[in-house]
Amino acid sequence: MTSPHPPAKVKSRKRHHWIVRVTHWVNFVAIVIMVGSGLRIFNAYPAFARKGEMFCCYPFEHKPIPAWLTFGGWLGGARHWHFAMMWVLVVNGLIYLTFIYLHGDWRDLVPRKGDIRDSWQMVKFYTFRRKDHPHQGKHNALQKGAYFALPIAGALAVLTGIAIWKPVQLSWLTALFGGYVWARYWHFIAMLVIVILSVIHVFMVFAVDPYSITSMITGNYDPALSPEARNARPFYHLLPPRRPAAPVPVAPPPTEST
Amino acid sequence: MSRDLRKFLIINGIDRRDFLIRGSGIISAVLLAACDSRGPKAADKLLKYAERKNRVVERKLFRHTSMDVVRAGAYDAGNKLPSYFIAPTVPVWDETARGKWSLEVSGLVGNPVRLTLEDLQRLPQVSNRVNHYCVEGWTAVETWTGVPFSELAKFVRADPQARFVDFQSFDDDYHESWDIESAMHKQTVVAYGLDGKPLQPAHGAPARVYSPVKLGYKNTKYLTKIVFMPHMNGGYWSDQGYEWYGGV
Repeated sequence: MTSPHPPAKVKSRKRHHWIVRVTHWVNFVAIVIMVGSGLRIFNAYPAFARKGEMFCCYPFEHKPIPAWLTFGGWLGGARHWHFAMMWVLVVNGLIYLTFIYLHGDWRDLVPRKGDIRDSWQMVKFYTFRRKDHPHQGKHNALQKGAYFALPIAGALAVLTGIAIWKPVQLSWLTALFGGYVWARYWHFIAMLVIVILSVIHVFMVFAVDPYSITSMITGNYDPALSPEARNARPFYHLLPPRRPAAPVPVAPPPTEST
Repeated sequence: MSRDLRKFLIINGIDRRDFLIRGSGIISAVLLAACDSRGPKAADKLLKYAERKNRVVERKLFRHTSMDVVRAGAYDAGNKLPSYFIAPTVPVWDETARGKWSLEVSGLVGNPVRLTLEDLQRLPQVSNRVNHYCVEGWTAVETWTGVPFSELAKFVRADPQARFVDFQSFDDDYHESWDIESAMHKQTVVAYGLDGKPLQPAHGAPARVYSPVKLGYKNTKYLTKIVFMPHMNGGYWSDQGYEWYGGV
């Protein structure tokens, strides 16, 4: 016999394990400080060329990064922040990766056959060339790509960072990246990739799925509010709700004529 | 959104849009306030702690067998090698006022000496073509000629209890102290020649310490004194907040 009292409403489901939530926010702080202090360090010599040489591949040689994007105040201070926070970044990243490996969450993130096609469908949806939100699992195909790429860019940032921290003691690592000058360049590029992916991520969170902020704090998520369920394109939730058409006035208000 | 949060928002008359706009406003304000700042004062202790721990890691990583190798095809910096000193003008040893220059090697040694430039040149000589790693991030390839520090240590019979070395200069009160391992590294030299020519005042004449295993600022120029010590002794830049270890 079935229960006479069906559940009153759909219960929100646990979306993120607490380890994922904690490492996410620790990572946020660590990345902001690493990027800010890194740019302050970079500004001490904002160029890649060895003295007496030219560098092929950076169009802004000797142009400093705007100070408001930097953190640490001065070179020595920024270095202290960078070399302290690097441990937080690395340990936090390892905890996250170990957890998603053991817990199976990696299955939601690894690329699969069809992801490129699905990504294209998402692009079509966002650009109004497709009406309905493509069906998705935990993440849509574009998200999957970004969340899979981030740890790779992070690992690259850490390895190139170690390579320019210890170019003599760990010269084999530095050599792997093409020597100090190139390792420093790849360190910069890895940072850029992380920053670009993160900026898009934050933008899309606010523009498409603000409910995911709560789910990254409390862990709860109401599937009825997922972007797929809401058919959400960027900023749809901020647009005024559609009202029934206002009744047409029976007669135009009298106007005074002169 | 959780039910509690939703209730809170309703009670306080904040709708979702307000919540998002205010929330992102607060986050941006916090981030902007942090921009270009040194960070909270309270973090200083933590940063000092991290520096001490990093020093332990760095000394563990140090290997006497790890050598700096210049990449194939790298050009010498030549006259593009920057010249730094802390005095208002290029420090030049004035023989008429101070007498002949000599380098004092003392402290925990069995045979404290005063070496003239000629004495130094009579000691075993090496030329190393190596990278210069500046704390600012640039590098420069140069060939440094001088006496390996390890030979000098042998010559003065350094005491095994000397765990640190202080390199002092006549560039005002510039000095930097090192851990003994880095000083004894094969590529650490007391250099009196640069690119096959005698060292010029712009780069630390008559003699300076030079090693690719330390950042530029640790490599004291315009040497006057090398002191073997049982303890570390800070340094000009280290005392102003740069890392004391400064190892590469």
